[in-house]
Amino acid sequence: MTGAAHSKKIGLVLGALLVVTLPFWAGDQYQLHLAALIAVYWILVAGLNLVVGFTGQLSVGHVGLLSISAYTFAILGGTLGWNPYLAMVAAGGLGGLCGLLLGLPSLRLPGFYFAMATMAFAMIVNELVLANPQLTGGGIGLPGPAFPAPFDTPAGLYYLVAALAAGVTWLTWNIARRMWGRAFISIRDNPVAAQAVGVPVLRAKLSAFVFSGVTAGFAGSAFASLQSYITPDTFVFELSLFFFVCIIIGGRGSLIGPFLGVVVLTALPEMAAPLAKLGNLFYGVLLLVVVLVVPEGIGRMLELIGERIRPRVARHEAVKPDLARLTRVLAEQA
Amino acid sequence: MNARSDIPAFEPVNLAQVPMPRPALGDGRLALQLRVEQVTRLFGGLRALDGVSLDLRPGEVHGLIGPNGSGKTTLLNLLSGYYPPSSGAIRLGDEDLSAQPVQRRAQVGLARTFQKPRLLPMLTVLENAVLGAWPHAHAGFLATSLALPSVAREDKILLDRAAELLHGVGLGHVLHRRANLLDHAEQRFLEIARGLALRPRFILLDEPAGGLTEIEIGHLSDVVQAIRGAGIGVLLVEHHTDFVFRICDRVTTLNLGKMIKSGTPDEVRCDPEVIRVYLGA
Amino acid sequence: MTTVLVTGLAIGMLYAAIALVYNVMFSTSKVLSMTTGHIAMLGGVFGAYFMQVLQIHWVLALAGSVVVGAAFGALTEVLAVRRVLQRSDEHLWLLSTLALATTVQQGVGLWWGTEPKPFPRLIPQDFSAGIADQKYWLPIGAAILIALGLDQFYRRTMYGKLFIAMSEDAFAARARGVSTDRVRLLSFVVSGVLGSFAGFAAGQLTFAFFALGHVLTLSGFIALAVGGLGSNVGALIGGAALGLLSAFASYYFGGEYQQTIAVGVLMLVLLLKPEGLLGAKNVRPV
Repeated sequence: MTGAAHSKKIGLVLGALLVVTLPFWAGDQYQLHLAALIAVYWILVAGLNLVVGFTGQLSVGHVGLLSISAYTFAILGGTLGWNPYLAMVAAGGLGGLCGLLLGLPSLRLPGFYFAMATMAFAMIVNELVLANPQLTGGGIGLPGPAFPAPFDTPAGLYYLVAALAAGVTWLTWNIARRMWGRAFISIRDNPVAAQAVGVPVLRAKLSAFVFSGVTAGFAGSAFASLQSYITPDTFVFELSLFFFVCIIIGGRGSLIGPFLGVVVLTALPEMAAPLAKLGNLFYGVLLLVVVLVVPEGIGRMLELIGERIRPRVARHEAVKPDLARLTRVLAEQA
Repeated sequence: MNARSDIPAFEPVNLAQVPMPRPALGDGRLALQLRVEQVTRLFGGLRALDGVSLDLRPGEVHGLIGPNGSGKTTLLNLLSGYYPPSSGAIRLGDEDLSAQPVQRRAQVGLARTFQKPRLLPMLTVLENAVLGAWPHAHAGFLATSLALPSVAREDKILLDRAAELLHGVGLGHVLHRRANLLDHAEQRFLEIARGLALRPRFILLDEPAGGLTEIEIGHLSDVVQAIRGAGIGVLLVEHHTDFVFRICDRVTTLNLGKMIKSGTPDEVRCDPEVIRVYLGA
Repeated sequence: MTTVLVTGLAIGMLYAAIALVYNVMFSTSKVLSMTTGHIAMLGGVFGAYFMQVLQIHWVLALAGSVVVGAAFGALTEVLAVRRVLQRSDEHLWLLSTLALATTVQQGVGLWWGTEPKPFPRLIPQDFSAGIADQKYWLPIGAAILIALGLDQFYRRTMYGKLFIAMSEDAFAARARGVSTDRVRLLSFVVSGVLGSFAGFAAGQLTFAFFALGHVLTLSGFIALAVGGLGSNVGALIGGAALGLLSAFASYYFGGEYQQTIAVGVLMLVLLLKPEGLLGAKNVRPV
């Protein structure tokens, strides 16, 4: 195993240990809650990452999906008294359907137009929530149902969302490293090449959107339960921006980058009390700095720093075909 | 290459028997031609192509030359499927490709390279090349996400083959380099490897010699010969006429949208019309 | 009923003015800036600030707001557009202008407060003036003035012709010795002036509110998209259509579905005819 792969494995094991033992070393309930919130956000962002980070679609409307699924969960599990697990799965399904609807305009509208359409989507969802108080509690909001034991304690709920987050991470990691991941990146970086190799661009985009909708569905349910109470004020456009920014700052095309982005951007304003009020201002400035200085994200920035410390010279050898090998591989049927 | 006994051997596929939309790729030894039949393409009042016919046979290198504005790019775009002909047809065997979308081209075994290489800068050379094998990747989105064993198996097969192709074209030393770090020659050969990853019946090369040194053009010749030897048909669009006349079996010359001469390199090279409009005295 | 008509037209003309501002910025940079709505927001907020807090006469306050707008326009170009255009990544400017827009919006929110504050009268007028109320006629007048002004600018001034040259072929313009950086900067400054002027004029209608930025960016964009990118007449039509549609939707269905209906219908138009009503088909929407 190479040095880089070795340290990655160690990092992963350490990280997993940290996550699993967190309730024991976290300072107080508040920090445990924060960790659970990060996990919930990551559930959504991991799915959104496929749409934004890999396929390059500019969706700034995913807070709308979070809102829809949180309210679905609260209504089904709370008002209608469904089993919370069933309610969560239903919210996931509805999320997938709404994700499909959100993604449809991307097939016809170019980049900026599509971004505006998703922005409008988020605003419309909020308006619909406020306009139907008999269903959603209007401005007052709804309570978010708790999960049955053993997940009804803060530590229990933390383990539930952490497990969900781990599951979603595993799913997206599988997609990212195989042909589908490469296909998504081709749509992002060179759609002409994607078409030329036969990638079904429309179907791929919609798949990514549906997937991101399902993860948003689970995230919304967990969110409602974690916060215990949801109101329309929670689901502002700035939250959508936050998700989007986590991915851009973390770096498109990777998983660890956006994950670190979520961790840092959620924890920082909370940790530094004076920063809390400046939260959104901070995001704006940070995004601006990253876009201007390291547009590929912090992940790439770390790579560049790494290369400064240990430069790897890219030697240019001449291209010299191995014709025997070429003939052999072209000839074989298997 | 190690023989792998756990992988069932792929059967050669008869294109005529496989229905859409399964990718029906095949064996260049079948006598299927790619025919351009009396194709005309109008852009408003401009007749970019006027009654052009051309056929591409398996295991043949067919050159396409002509001055700028003669319609070479238009013809390539038609073959690629970016727009349909205004009249006439493009056929692969029995199938009329004229109105089919771009993605269908790869599915029927038609690969291409681009005049300005279109690579994915953030992926490695190997990842770029294996993307050309997309029609061979049957793993669905859901199966991929669940990491079913068949997905890993298929991916390994495709990656191994792409690696062999890269070694074959001379890029074995940069398999894991990011594509945006490649120099021009490396980019061109990578695009060819990507095209070959399709296991195509035909490959369209759009000015592949552009920007290459004489030595590199020599390597390019060798690679094109190897492609021909495997029974793949090559359409070579080029300005580098020495290169064209050296390696092509047949050459077609266009001017102002019309075909003015088609034949062996010697015939075309000596044709007075071709000399007048393109080659010069 | 006429109140509904006039309200719709007035807010619609604010949207139209923003669409006009989009056009000016787009012509020289091919960038659709996410800061466009914020320019108008700044015009309104600073207008209220100058008049109410600093007790300055409205003419001077207007001048001050316009200066603020111009400065913001220049800042947008220098910071969020110029450097980004040099990079090959197409949509980077969306992120940089979005970042700047968010920064400005939040900064104003922290300074001015998050409550919408009333915008003072410019000309003494009774609040029972009905449809003749200046809060309706000021934005309508402003938009028409901007449209006429731009028309004259493009037709009669050298710089106007430079804008057109750049919008048709920036490469050729540069080859002819036009300093494209400077012309682009000028166009963003002009956008800042026009946008803040429109925001100031509409202040009595919208109130001085920090959160207007994103809303106006979206609404102005819809007006632009419906009318057609690159068409000033289209901008006016698109804005009027959106404003009237919102107002009538409010009237018939109550304010709660206002945005949904308006945006929904207009998104439908976009999906059917992406280049807008009067948009040139060859002007590729980015």
